[in-house]
Amino acid sequence: MNLLLAIFLLFSNPSDKVKIIDPWMRVGAQGQNTALFFKIENNSDKADTLYQVDFKQAGKVEIHETYDAGNGMMGMREIGKIVIPAKSTFELKPGSFHVMLIKLKQDIKKGFVGDFVLHFRNAGKIKIKAEAKEMMMKMHHKMN
Amino acid sequence: MKNVKIVLIYFVLGVFLTGCYKHFPLDQDISRTQNTFFNQDSVKVEFPKIIQGKITLLAMVYTHCPDICPMTTHNMYLVQERLPRDLIDKVKFVIISFDPNRDTPSVLKKFAELRDLDFNYWTLLSGNEQNTKEVMLKFDVKAIPADSTYDNDGELSYSMIHTDRISLIDQDGKLRSNYKGSTADLTTIINDIKYLGE
Repeated sequence: MNLLLAIFLLFSNPSDKVKIIDPWMRVGAQGQNTALFFKIENNSDKADTLYQVDFKQAGKVEIHETYDAGNGMMGMREIGKIVIPAKSTFELKPGSFHVMLIKLKQDIKKGFVGDFVLHFRNAGKIKIKAEAKEMMMKMHHKMN
Repeated sequence: MKNVKIVLIYFVLGVFLTGCYKHFPLDQDISRTQNTFFNQDSVKVEFPKIIQGKITLLAMVYTHCPDICPMTTHNMYLVQERLPRDLIDKVKFVIISFDPNRDTPSVLKKFAELRDLDFNYWTLLSGNEQNTKEVMLKFDVKAIPADSTYDNDGELSYSMIHTDRISLIDQDGKLRSNYKGSTADLTTIINDIKYLGE
């Protein structure tokens, strides 16, 4: 029985426990910066940590947070990692947490689909594709 | 006699309240001084002369911003899309960079083209340090270099802490209202433009 369980664990996809939902990236010009957004659904019984993202078309990739700097000013800072508690969903979204894609090596136009590798402490590597848009359609504008 | 007094009180109160009511919180003339900029086609222009007679939505941004500035620009784009056709020709959309060393006219043009900004309505401006500072002062916009990092090729990249704002200027060159840029209430902006356009 233990052997069967071991074989199951060996061949089961660890990313089943962590799902990436609605990934998209913002358009950006070569040489400039842009951002990647998505939701992380952690269905496991343990917290997991996103600590690295790979994207070949960027000179560097960092995990960032946009924050209110007071007096009507906004800033941005590197946070290094994101911890997703067990059985919870964490959203990277405009005006908040995002993956910063620094010094793009090419223009990222609308419709471009980028290949990313997300690195989690427990779930390991998860490959995703993200389409370039200007803004996710579900942005919550205060429209009547 | 008592009724006459009440009517008189209401009349005086009405006149007083009408006199106090202002649709816009600001009434600041920004057209007294001009600053030289280059537009997205590297054509030398004077600001605010180029918006004379137009209702103008203006934002100061930097194009290396991955989040707030694109959101602000997109909000202005959404305002343009949702304005009635008979009003759109009365409105200008202006982006001025507070990071002119990196935001050259060609960089601004690419930024606009990636976002389908129509140059019939949109103007993007880059100026020298002095002109940029003067306009920032005029609109009370602040921008401070912040986090910096070296990319894998050893090139420095920096972000900026900055004012997050869209400004509304009327046809007479008066600053009438400021809105939060990235999370703007589009309905309020559209209604304010309609008010000026009537």
